[in-house]
Amino acid sequence: MTRALVWLAKRVAGGVVVLWAVATLIFFAIRLVPGDPAEAILGGPGSQASAATLALVRREYGLDQPLGVQYLRQLGHLATGDLGTSYSLKQSVASVLAAQVPPTLVLAALSLVVAWLLAIGTAWWSASGGRIANALASGLEVVASAVPHFLLASILIVVFATQLGLLPPVSTGTPSGLVLPVVTLAVPVAGFLGQVTRDSLLDAASAPFALSARARGESASGVFGRHLLRHAALPGLALSGWAFGSLLSGAIVVESVFARPGLGRTLLQAVTLRDIPLVTGVALVSALAYVVVVALGDLAEAVVDPRVRDASRSRRPRNRGTVAA
Amino acid sequence: MRPPIVPVLALAAASLLVLTGCTSGSGASTASGTPVAGGTLTYATGDAEPTCLDPHVGGNYPQALVASQYLEELVSKDKAGNTIPWLATSWKTAADGSSLTFTLKKGVTFTDGTPFDAAAVVANIEHVKNPSTLSSTGYLALQKVSKAVAASTDTVRLDLSSPDSSLLDSLSQPWLAMESPTALKRSQAVNCESPVGTGPFVVTKWVKQQAITLTRNPKYTSPPKDAAHTGPAYLKTITWRFIPDSATRYAALQSGDVDVIDNAQPDSIVAAGKSSQLKELNAPRPGVSDRLELNSGQAPFDDDRVREAFISGVDVNAGIKSLFFGTATRSYSLLSSVEKSGYSDKSLFDVDTTKAARLLDQAGWTGRDSSGYRTKDGQRLTVRFPVSTNQSIPAERALFEQIQAEAKSLGFDVEIQQLDLSSWYGALAKHQYEIVSAPYTKVGPGVLDIVYDSASIKPAPSGYFANLAQVNLPQLDTVLQQAGQEQDATKRQALYTQAQKIVLDGYYVLPLYDQQNHYLYRTSVHGLRAMPTVSTPTLYDTWLEK
Repeated sequence: MTRALVWLAKRVAGGVVVLWAVATLIFFAIRLVPGDPAEAILGGPGSQASAATLALVRREYGLDQPLGVQYLRQLGHLATGDLGTSYSLKQSVASVLAAQVPPTLVLAALSLVVAWLLAIGTAWWSASGGRIANALASGLEVVASAVPHFLLASILIVVFATQLGLLPPVSTGTPSGLVLPVVTLAVPVAGFLGQVTRDSLLDAASAPFALSARARGESASGVFGRHLLRHAALPGLALSGWAFGSLLSGAIVVESVFARPGLGRTLLQAVTLRDIPLVTGVALVSALAYVVVVALGDLAEAVVDPRVRDASRSRRPRNRGTVAA
Repeated sequence: MRPPIVPVLALAAASLLVLTGCTSGSGASTASGTPVAGGTLTYATGDAEPTCLDPHVGGNYPQALVASQYLEELVSKDKAGNTIPWLATSWKTAADGSSLTFTLKKGVTFTDGTPFDAAAVVANIEHVKNPSTLSSTGYLALQKVSKAVAASTDTVRLDLSSPDSSLLDSLSQPWLAMESPTALKRSQAVNCESPVGTGPFVVTKWVKQQAITLTRNPKYTSPPKDAAHTGPAYLKTITWRFIPDSATRYAALQSGDVDVIDNAQPDSIVAAGKSSQLKELNAPRPGVSDRLELNSGQAPFDDDRVREAFISGVDVNAGIKSLFFGTATRSYSLLSSVEKSGYSDKSLFDVDTTKAARLLDQAGWTGRDSSGYRTKDGQRLTVRFPVSTNQSIPAERALFEQIQAEAKSLGFDVEIQQLDLSSWYGALAKHQYEIVSAPYTKVGPGVLDIVYDSASIKPAPSGYFANLAQVNLPQLDTVLQQAGQEQDATKRQALYTQAQKIVLDGYYVLPLYDQQNHYLYRTSVHGLRAMPTVSTPTLYDTWLEK
């Protein structure tokens, strides 16, 4: 129990450091690019506002303070949980995030599930289907992991919305509207997960523990589900944090193309308008989600792989070789 | 061997997640000329989502688009460009031009029940002029208004610091629309969410990044004079959606998920022309035409021979034809074709590469470097061309690349830099450009004062300045100032024509085409029109065929 608490405390401390680094990086990075935050407040770039108006805005938002003061002040606010007010939307960042996080989370989570299902499916198919299936699956995975989101989205819209009329091109919140965005996000990740899963699946299939399981008379699906999959999923699970990050960044394109609300589209608009509080808020939420998902991925790894579990329990890995499962 | 359960389930689950649900297309349309009341129209805009629905705050085109459904102005324009009554029934300029007096329409109320009267107009003028409103476009237009006075319940007088022949034009724009003074007293955050006007629709809901819901104002009484009907609007509801991607927007129109789209791209317009279910409304925006401006404030375009060489050496007609598929018409004017004061001179833009080469030789750009670009004193003939990806459609950016190639054969090294809007304004503010294409939407020829008066070289506090060609001619300033004060319409037009000739003859500008503004809509949509003011759509007369 105490070990679990120590683990949790370490995770939380690490997470706080990550969030601080993100807040700092964003704060200074957004000031390095051209553009005046005061204009965001005045309705966008190219403002013809009078000197009086501009001075008023700068004073009200503390933009006339030295950069160091602004930075410390922002850190102070963030430390107390105050994300501030969006310059462009004139709403508290917390309420904007509360509205925009759920749609992106639904999108990313569903995409991750679909990506895993596709990855496992193709991995199994190539492992059991012989050389042709293997080559075909391997080719598909390379194509899938390399295809850019905007291209895939356009193809899917032309085929399923325009030509076949099966699915709406705009994601309006109905279940059918989720299909194309989810597929667009899931396919590249599936390609990537599939590649690593298939490689380790093929390794595992020829390992002694698989042979002995078959010798015990287990069915093919039993061997796959109980033994091979556990083994093969490990590298993929370790990559789930990365996959989630990739889904969040992909959401920027996908949410724009399918006109879905969400964090990605909010971020795009906030960056365009130099809306510093909103950019910071989105970045912090994404970083937090990433930290949590990586922690969950590690937990899942521990559940699937006794070696990891034991290592964290006794800090002394017992080498059980390839017969782990 | 039994079938493998796990992977089959996995694949099946994946396909289930993917293939649930489907939508059907809309039914066939039957022609009928009698308007039908009711129904919900879905409008999909490609413009940015406004950050505030009150166009007094800031003041840009996305705000004008949606505000045209729920806010109204004192005056409007007819198709011929004449000012026509709207919330004001008549108006009169003082003989010395020191004031402008409006008589207001009687019996009009805002949708919150507040009466529309002279006090309301005064409250609106004061709202726009108040620095804490953060108005930019409206504020600029009211600069010469020193005070608004309610002379009686339905008479309001605007006192001017100096005569302003453009004020009436400005007051026809959504950025100076009339809002309920009761509603304006609320906090800005609240007023931005739900501004209250006298218009045919009311803002009832705004879900950010998704849609604004507008519902019919059942007590509507104040259509402009050129509307097709009176009384409340036909549509019960408008869903105003934000679909930034142009291909998705067009796909949604094709599938019938939306009824009207704006910012239609050339390929979509051509495709729609071949469809029996889609129609086009072409409504170029007023103000200046889309054009290349050559920065005469610094080398090499401070030399008028180099400007003339560029403008007469580059052929843009072939590019416009091939890249816009005939959806854009070449302009030879500084102003939009909807502006009746526009002056056009095609002969200035005949392509003559021999003349261009001679002019560059005369200007001293006689050397050539290893890449084939002209040089002078070892310096390459480089011109920087920052392009705003937010304001320039793909077809236009492709045209700019063709211009780059054309200019290369003359010996110009055109450096195109694609920038986002903030970076683009940043580059302009630092004078890091020799060529630029910048839109400016405004009703009336008064836009010329803003864009070509030498006073507009001086930057606003934000760094923004409108005279990007940096035309600095005392003679032109005088003509523009006279035009800006001239009360006589004929004399005013003559002065503005003279001003346009001066700018065109100085080879500061290469006009391309009108500011493109194409709407596409389904044939089940009837009575859609664009306001003759700033070419925003109005859905007041619009009805849906069942």
